Amino acid sequence: MATLAEVASAAPAGSASAQRRLIIARIVSYGLLAVAVILVLFPIYWMVITSLKLPREIYRVPALWPQTFTLANFDKLLADGSFLLAIRNSAIVATTVTVISVIISSFAAYSMVRFRYRFRGVFGRLILFAYLTPGSLLFIPLSIVMAQLRLGNSLQGLILVYLTFSLPLSTWLLQGYFRGVPRELEEQGMIDGLTRFGALIRITLPLSAPGLAAVAIFTFTGAWNELLFALVLTTSESVRTAPLALNYLITSDVLPWGPLMAGAVISSVPLMILYFVAQRFMVAGMAEGAVKG
Amino acid sequence: MSVAADTIPAKPRRRLPGNVRIKAFAYLLVAPAILLICGLVAYPFLFAIWVSFTDMVVGSVGNFVGFKNFEYLAGTATFYSAIWNTIVIVLVSDVLKLGIGLGLALLVHQNLPGRGIFRSFLMLPWAMPAFVAFLTWRVLYQPIGGGINLILTQTGLYPEVVDFLGSRSTAMGSVIVASVWRGFPFWFISILAALQSVPKELYEAAIVDGASTWQRFWNVTIPSLMPVIIVTTLLSSIWTANGFEHVWLLTAGGPSDATMVFPVLAYYGMQTQRIGEAAAVSVYMLPVLGILVIFATSLMMRREE
Repeated sequence: MATLAEVASAAPAGSASAQRRLIIARIVSYGLLAVAVILVLFPIYWMVITSLKLPREIYRVPALWPQTFTLANFDKLLADGSFLLAIRNSAIVATTVTVISVIISSFAAYSMVRFRYRFRGVFGRLILFAYLTPGSLLFIPLSIVMAQLRLGNSLQGLILVYLTFSLPLSTWLLQGYFRGVPRELEEQGMIDGLTRFGALIRITLPLSAPGLAAVAIFTFTGAWNELLFALVLTTSESVRTAPLALNYLITSDVLPWGPLMAGAVISSVPLMILYFVAQRFMVAGMAEGAVKG
Repeated sequence: MSVAADTIPAKPRRRLPGNVRIKAFAYLLVAPAILLICGLVAYPFLFAIWVSFTDMVVGSVGNFVGFKNFEYLAGTATFYSAIWNTIVIVLVSDVLKLGIGLGLALLVHQNLPGRGIFRSFLMLPWAMPAFVAFLTWRVLYQPIGGGINLILTQTGLYPEVVDFLGSRSTAMGSVIVASVWRGFPFWFISILAALQSVPKELYEAAIVDGASTWQRFWNVTIPSLMPVIIVTTLLSSIWTANGFEHVWLLTAGGPSDATMVFPVLAYYGMQTQRIGEAAAVSVYMLPVLGILVIFATSLMMRREE
């Protein structure tokens, strides 16, 4: 590996120059990483700090550190209850999509990993194509289809539409995890009296728990974040999701940065908690998706 | 495998009576996913192509009009802005994400104490909701109340207040910076995972052969990373070219089309109710996108086997 530390360690061990090079390499590495971390954190810091500033401090005397901290922006955002309703809608949509998607995609992935049948290859390709078909191609026809199904402007419609991106990705990822479950364990279970479906539920799924966790988190996150479909499919305020509610804040004439950033903070909290609790699974799943395919 | 068994292991147990049942079970399990994908992806996809050849507006079915929508779009300046801007955003931001992701992955891959903490922090932009990230950048870029102008003026790096998103010369760069910030962790983590799976023996062999550090980097590290870099580039290009949030929430395509991209243009078409034209905008992307998708699909399928 051509990393700085190994440049140093390639030199004869114990020599003074090797020591010095190792130390310099360490300092340079930490320096670069520190700069990167600061650049990553600054926008997040700005979001939080803006949400806690008084309007006059945001607009007239901008500073890196506010003179007074206030929750006024949060009060203002939450006052009429419409943002809380949006958060609630987002939570309903994201949770429902996650449950449906995990169930359907784990069945599909299991079928495609464990059985051989005629259309298996076609299905695999279809799922991958669907995963890579961008939403920007689909939002126009889907809005027409949803209107025809009388599901436009409803949370049910959003849930159905969000399956378009979650099902293909979940099925694709879960196939990788299921392949790692030894077939012998299932067969053992079936000898012990489990049906095939029982073996899937009692053996394969529990053993793929990290994969299921990753898939569930990705689905939840994707649904929680989605803006374009929500923008096109919903019209009334009662079915707005969190990204939509914030989107409409900035399309007004007066740009309320304080309440906007308060909304940003509130919208981030569920995902940040998920990230810190389940980072392991997410990183593994992400690497799995792109790297090992 | 050419064994006449339905399950993959070729076990000569008494399977034949259950043969049909097993097959039915397999189809039953996969059916919901396939039906939903056909109904919600494949059918709408084909429907979009049909719509792009009609004069459909909201509330009417529309008549076939041939290439009229495509010709109309090709006669507008906005359309050419969208082509150019999409290419610029995809190329510039992907190159930056690759450079930053690779550099940081190499740094974190060393055996530095505390590298887990660095990794967690560097992944944060990806853990944030995209809409939150871009709204935050929108505030950061503001002339009044924005953190970037504050730092530039107070440190004396640049004395004048810049309207980053409001002027034609800086808008595109600003959109790219924000989307690189949000997008680099995906590259970072993909490359890091690939680095960790490069067999140590390759490096040991290279050292035995007397390869220098740079030679090892170019002849071992980079070739080992290539498959991951190619797949990541394809995925990221597809996503970036179709990204809506970053442009919509930062500039909405402005000022005067300086950051207009295909998805935003299609959305505007949709808002003005001219669905045929809006669909034609999306369909215009298909040839290039189709090539990328087919290429990515075959690479991912191949590596799965």
